Amino acid sequence: MICGFCGYEFDESEGKKGCGGCSGGCHSIHCPRCNYKNPLEAGVVKKLKTIFGKNSEHKGDMG
Amino acid sequence: MATCCGKQNDAPVNDGSIRKVALVGNPNVGKSVLFNALTGAYVTVSNYPGTSVEVSRGHAAFGGQQWEVIDTPGMYAIHTITEEERVAREILLHESPDVVVHVLDARNLERMLAMTIQLIEAGLPVILVVNIMDEAERMGLAIDLKLLQQKLGIPVIGAATARKRGIEAIRSAIVAYRCPCEQQRFEYSRLLERDIAEVAGLMKGEYILSRRALALLLLQQDEEITELARTREGDDFAPLNEKVREIAFERRESFHLDLSLERKEMVRRIVNGVFSAPERRVVTMAERLSRLAVQPLTGIPMLLIVLYFGLYKFVGEFGAGTVVDLLEKQLFVELFNPWITATVQSLIPWQIIQELFVGEYGIITLGIRYAVGIILPIVATFFIFFSFLEDTGYFPRLALLVDRIFKHFGLTGRAVIPMVLGFGCDTMATMVTRTLETTRERIIATILLSLTIPCSAQLGVIMSLLSKFPGALAVWGGCLMLLFFVVGLLSARILPGDAPMFYMELPPMRMPQLGNVVTKTYTRMQWYFLEILPLFVLASILLWLGKITGFFEKMVTAMTPVMASIGLPKETAVAFIFGFFRRDYGAAGLYELQTKGLMDARQLTVAAVTLTLFIPCVAQFLIMKKERGWKVAGAIGVFVSLLAFASGYVLNKALLVTGLLS
Repeated sequence: MICGFCGYEFDESEGKKGCGGCSGGCHSIHCPRCNYKNPLEAGVVKKLKTIFGKNSEHKGDMG
Repeated sequence: MATCCGKQNDAPVNDGSIRKVALVGNPNVGKSVLFNALTGAYVTVSNYPGTSVEVSRGHAAFGGQQWEVIDTPGMYAIHTITEEERVAREILLHESPDVVVHVLDARNLERMLAMTIQLIEAGLPVILVVNIMDEAERMGLAIDLKLLQQKLGIPVIGAATARKRGIEAIRSAIVAYRCPCEQQRFEYSRLLERDIAEVAGLMKGEYILSRRALALLLLQQDEEITELARTREGDDFAPLNEKVREIAFERRESFHLDLSLERKEMVRRIVNGVFSAPERRVVTMAERLSRLAVQPLTGIPMLLIVLYFGLYKFVGEFGAGTVVDLLEKQLFVELFNPWITATVQSLIPWQIIQELFVGEYGIITLGIRYAVGIILPIVATFFIFFSFLEDTGYFPRLALLVDRIFKHFGLTGRAVIPMVLGFGCDTMATMVTRTLETTRERIIATILLSLTIPCSAQLGVIMSLLSKFPGALAVWGGCLMLLFFVVGLLSARILPGDAPMFYMELPPMRMPQLGNVVTKTYTRMQWYFLEILPLFVLASILLWLGKITGFFEKMVTAMTPVMASIGLPKETAVAFIFGFFRRDYGAAGLYELQTKGLMDARQLTVAAVTLTLFIPCVAQFLIMKKERGWKVAGAIGVFVSLLAFASGYVLNKALLVTGLLS
């Protein structure tokens, strides 16, 4: 994924997740470079992308 | 030196074995995008043995052959400095990939080609992917890929992987790769060639990388390569090491510099005729906007335009006005609430239980109505605006723009991240302050967040309420700005310490993509809504309990003198009590009072300022406690509450005396 703030390109697994601050669980991924809180793609969006054969990583420009 | 890269020289095979392709390159050149495009969903991520560096691996079938694709961490050169670079080199050294795909950024071709040369020099089976060609073309840069391929002696492919351009060509190149028997040789100066030859001549062991490359690494005093040579050379290591030490001592003053200059010259010769930039560099619209956004003279008006159209017109007028009117008034008040009230009353005979669901503070008639009718449309429009701006790459420019101002508050532009996020939700923004470098910065940012940054729902409601009265919004905004500056400046003076340095690489500005904006908005809204809905229901239950026990009435009565002192009717106390549960809940309460015609312009403005500054909601307070501890959180809570009412008091008096807004 690409950080919405600094444009750093990183793998979802590289981001920091689950600081325990949000009620209802963690739904964000913090950028490993700038710590910006990027939203974790909702399950339904992932499913839709799979159906339409779109990989989220292909979207958007890169830094 | 002409080398063959051993097994990579074979023709493509289809014997059921798995071949390996490693993606290497600087950080941020699109390696991971290419990795995902090549591998799809079949990916495993694990720490590289003995390190905390994660490496992604995936599998794919190209041309009927199974391939393992490895996404290596970013590296700048074969001579490594960081742990990530070491891991990337380890993969090249120990996993002997069949193909190494070097991905570089077309816009920085000259700077990044030095690593391509090192990879070729090392005898690795390299394919070069010149990525981000679309941006380079937009900047007017022209790259002759055929000539580059000829000069480097390896396959070269132009791509824009984020736009799926070139992916198929890369796949085909991987499948068709055959290592040339005569690899391109890049000549250094006579003196350096002599040193390389002397060191390489003493190496007898078997290596994956070429002796020429290893000799250069040894001369650069690369510890890991020295260790590798020690194990591979055995008894022959001593004379080798002696020679390396001798040359290193002779050239101790300037070896690294000489090597770097020679490589630079080598790259210059390669790009000569390959790369051309227009005489006057084409400044793209995005670059022009980017420059305007960071310069104070143009950046501040630009920010005001963004806020006017984004927050005021779109979130305030459209979201909190038109859509709320449609949902809250026409759907809930006129249609849904009367129907559900009648239904519940016919089903449940006990009035006290009816009250719980459909009473004044009922779960459905108040909690759900606030959440769906008022908060949802405001938050939705805010998140559309937020995701749109985020996708343009505007936020890092904003950070740079305000860095100069923030320095006076003991903060840096980095604090823009929690501040911007605070407009979404102050609770999560308070958590994000932990990313600031110093404790001092974190405390100042926490104070400013809990005091002067309204969350999206609160902001939307307030904008919608105040925009009906000329000047009220300006007074509210002016008060918050004034307090932001005063409290920021005072905090920086009172709390000891210096503001750290702030620098960041700016990603390009770009046209926001509808898909990205919709996805991010939907995702943010979904999580936000799931989080607030139970809290709104809980707040309704507590208010209902408060009402039936009389506690709520007592609290309102107790707060009446305070409300009166700032010129507000006693009913406003309800909004403040709501506000403590959640800021957005309080703002919605204020909205209701206004619709009932209980407040004039002055009172609304005073209430809006006081409520915005008022003690953070329970969730934010708890996070403050978690992040900063009881002492600091308690002190901030008391300070913020006192300041909120003091500001309300002063503002009320000032408005009465001046007659402004009357």
